Amino acid sequence: MLDFMANAISPFNLLLALLGVAAGTIIGSIPGLTATMAVAVLVPLTFTMSPDSALILMGAIYTGAIYGGAYAAILLNTPGTPSAIATTFDGYPMAKRGDGDLAVTIACLSSVFGGLVGALALLFLAPPLARAALAFGPVEYFWLAVFGLSLIAAVSTGDFLKGVIGACFGLLIATIGVSETSAEVRFTFGSRMLLGGVETVSALIGLYCIPVLIDLVATPDRHLDEAGGGMRGFRLLEAGRVMLQNGVNVLRSSVIGTMVGALPGAGGSIAGLVAYSEARRNGRGVEKYGEGNPGGIVATESANNATVGGGFIPTLVLGIPGTPPDAVILGALLVQGVRTGPTLFQGSADIVYTFIFGLLLATVLMLPVGLLIGRFAYGAILKAPKAALVPVVAFMTVIGTFAIRNNVSDIYIMIVLGVVGWLAAKRGFGASPIVLGLILGSIAEQGFVQSWTIGSAIGDLWGQFFGRPISLVIIALTVLSFLYPFWPQIRRIAGRSDDATPADMVDRPRAGGRMVAWDLLGFAVFGAVAALVLVQSAGLNPEAAVFPRTIATVMVVVVVASVAKLMLTRHVTGEPVRGSLIRSASVPAAMLLAAALIPLAGFALAAALLGAVLTVPAQHESFSRRGWIFLLGSVLAVVLGVVLLFDLGLNVPLP
Amino acid sequence: MIRTILTQAAAAILATGLAHAQDFPAGSVDYIIPFGPGGESDITARLQQPYFQDLYGEQMVISYQPGGGGAVGWAQLNGMAEDGTVIMGINLPHIIVKPKQGNVGFETEDLAAVYWFHYTPDAILVRADSEIETLDQLIEQARANPRQVIFSGSGKGSANHLAQLQFDEMADIETTYVAFDGTGSAVTALLGGQVTAEWGYTTVGSGQGDEVRMLAVAMEERHPAFPDVPTFKEQGYDLVSGAYRGIAVPQDASEEVKQQVSDAIAAINADPEFQQKMIDGGFAMADVPYGEEMDAFMAEKAEEYLPAAREAGIIE
Repeated sequence: MLDFMANAISPFNLLLALLGVAAGTIIGSIPGLTATMAVAVLVPLTFTMSPDSALILMGAIYTGAIYGGAYAAILLNTPGTPSAIATTFDGYPMAKRGDGDLAVTIACLSSVFGGLVGALALLFLAPPLARAALAFGPVEYFWLAVFGLSLIAAVSTGDFLKGVIGACFGLLIATIGVSETSAEVRFTFGSRMLLGGVETVSALIGLYCIPVLIDLVATPDRHLDEAGGGMRGFRLLEAGRVMLQNGVNVLRSSVIGTMVGALPGAGGSIAGLVAYSEARRNGRGVEKYGEGNPGGIVATESANNATVGGGFIPTLVLGIPGTPPDAVILGALLVQGVRTGPTLFQGSADIVYTFIFGLLLATVLMLPVGLLIGRFAYGAILKAPKAALVPVVAFMTVIGTFAIRNNVSDIYIMIVLGVVGWLAAKRGFGASPIVLGLILGSIAEQGFVQSWTIGSAIGDLWGQFFGRPISLVIIALTVLSFLYPFWPQIRRIAGRSDDATPADMVDRPRAGGRMVAWDLLGFAVFGAVAALVLVQSAGLNPEAAVFPRTIATVMVVVVVASVAKLMLTRHVTGEPVRGSLIRSASVPAAMLLAAALIPLAGFALAAALLGAVLTVPAQHESFSRRGWIFLLGSVLAVVLGVVLLFDLGLNVPLP
Repeated sequence: MIRTILTQAAAAILATGLAHAQDFPAGSVDYIIPFGPGGESDITARLQQPYFQDLYGEQMVISYQPGGGGAVGWAQLNGMAEDGTVIMGINLPHIIVKPKQGNVGFETEDLAAVYWFHYTPDAILVRADSEIETLDQLIEQARANPRQVIFSGSGKGSANHLAQLQFDEMADIETTYVAFDGTGSAVTALLGGQVTAEWGYTTVGSGQGDEVRMLAVAMEERHPAFPDVPTFKEQGYDLVSGAYRGIAVPQDASEEVKQQVSDAIAAINADPEFQQKMIDGGFAMADVPYGEEMDAFMAEKAEEYLPAAREAGIIE
């Protein structure tokens, strides 16, 4: 063992770990550049290295990228990687109120802790955990996805039924394109653009980031509150106190992350959501979860970094990738002639153990590296004038979306979803339920159809869905998680509560006719979507139709219920539209134009124009000529620099 | 000193001489995989990469354009550079079956296939501790319990699925096929005991070693890496099938470019070291070059896949 440890901390490996973590953190912080891509770009480089060094470099960049995803989640409300979705729930509210620096430091501490737990599990518990993961069949994956969906109740902004409608909408979006389980083309309406379906990461960027940009240009308000009067260092002491208060939370979340990571195909996004859900249910704290409770960041970030070590468990022990980046690493090892799977731990123990110590080392290095880069990221976002922030971020969403699968169509889909998300939010349909549906849709559908096929074959559908012990545990947790937000009401109905009437049960103001009409319009649109799906699924084969039809039916029922509730209570949720509509509309309009320009003028020119044009609506005060030149110059420099980096550094084939 | 200069000069002359003999490639070559990273298409492309660079002294840059089970990439191929600097991975049965399943943005004929360089032969696998030891035992069990022998496999209308359909007919049995989203999750279901057996590839046998038992492989001859595993043919079933992987270029590329790309892939395939790496990974070599051979091969495969897919209701 000591040999392997010494091997791992050879100067070369140490350097690789350091570079890998730093590069990974930066890549992960850019929405669109995922851990999978970061690792894939590196693969050719690793061919010239020994297998253990190659593994250390890839492991380091992977773990860094998962942590880096937290920056954009906290500072821009946009998860840099899907693993950081739940980080936005509390991270962004914290940043909004001026605690972004604290949130970033907490994310770093949690990531390091989670990463260490995952790597230690890989070191000591890999074979038994790998065997345990195999007990998860299609039914369990289905129920796990449903458990993830139980978070709807928590992330619905004010109206649970609207959350359900949003989640159904997300589940339906996830079915667009060529079906994974039946290979049939669904809901593309003959459009080639929709053939590949809605790519999850680009949808995340659209739904979360575009509304932030639109609202940013609408008013002259600052993006983030500067409560403490600027930079206040790392706030390590405060962060440490939060970690101590969340001792149980961080341990539980790390264990959840490790176990979910060890499930092949589940991955960091589900781990983060499950850990968040559990933390919320057990949570104490001054702030509520979803409104800036640091516990939410602790849970998500420790869980998603624990999936790194956890995901390597099936990858190394079974030769089955635990997470998408693991699939790339597995391929790279195969090319090097290293056989993973059952023989690896016996045949090539030196590689495995050197790598695990390297991963532990990289995780420890993430503490200083992550704190420094985090401080820089916070400073950059906090200090940047709006007129520079908006064009640069808008450009990053475009190039990041393109880079995911080198496809211009995804840019259009991203922008359109962004506008849909903005409009929906104004009517009280938050982005998060839609995202939950979108992320969990394909896992839920595949698990459902597979279980259905197996259940019908053995003639025991009921037993297949409700007769397996692990399923029953997940179902129980799901029920608890669904009911938890309604606990005060349930207690009151049961007549056993002495509490004063909870805040949300106080008589709410009855809305005027115009607001009610707007809400009705919102329900009508979603009802029409559901109806369209029902009509379209009539022409599909049963395997392809069963899932979307079920979801659309639920959606219709909930829409009808919502309309009935609205007419009875005349209670309307939603956000007011603030600031200038023209400025707001200019953001998606400019982005759509840039997307249309890309095939004609090339990426660099389209991006430069987008950057230059968006400085105008984002600028609210009058500016001197020198100020404009400086602003335009710096925006263009950043845009062109990033274009070059993507083209040459990351081998993205930009048109 | 003089010797160094002389060797360098010689090397330079040799290099220019080679460059004259073949103006292929015109620069670095973009090798687009229409799937995400980490799958069989990616792995075999990665295996080719260093050999291409050795042979031609130019970079081969691999990028990914996933979506629609490959359809998104294939639908865009014909708009790309035609000078041989863009090549794209193609797969069978995908490019024959998919266009018949609906509007996927391309037709089989739109893709200028220039080489098929390997295939992953279909194989039936069970867990090492399964009571099923031979193909005959599996058939027996399937006869006694119609539909209750459950296979996992990668994809619907895929090589695994078509093999299951064809074999069910040949052996006159009725089994259940559960489609997973890739080989990884199909193997997971097998190892976890969620299914009786897997319609997988010989690569699974390589990856899983002693954890699984291959009952039969769908090859003409036994796989060199598994000399003890019989073929379906040996057991009386004429099943030779698998997922073929190859290279296509944009349709409007010149005949010369098509031939040059075909020759380049053939040259990599001829390298004994490359062959050994492929075989160790459980792949099986194929050599279908551009020209008449390609046309005949595609026609033969269409005749094999389409009736089976039609019968199973995968296509109309």
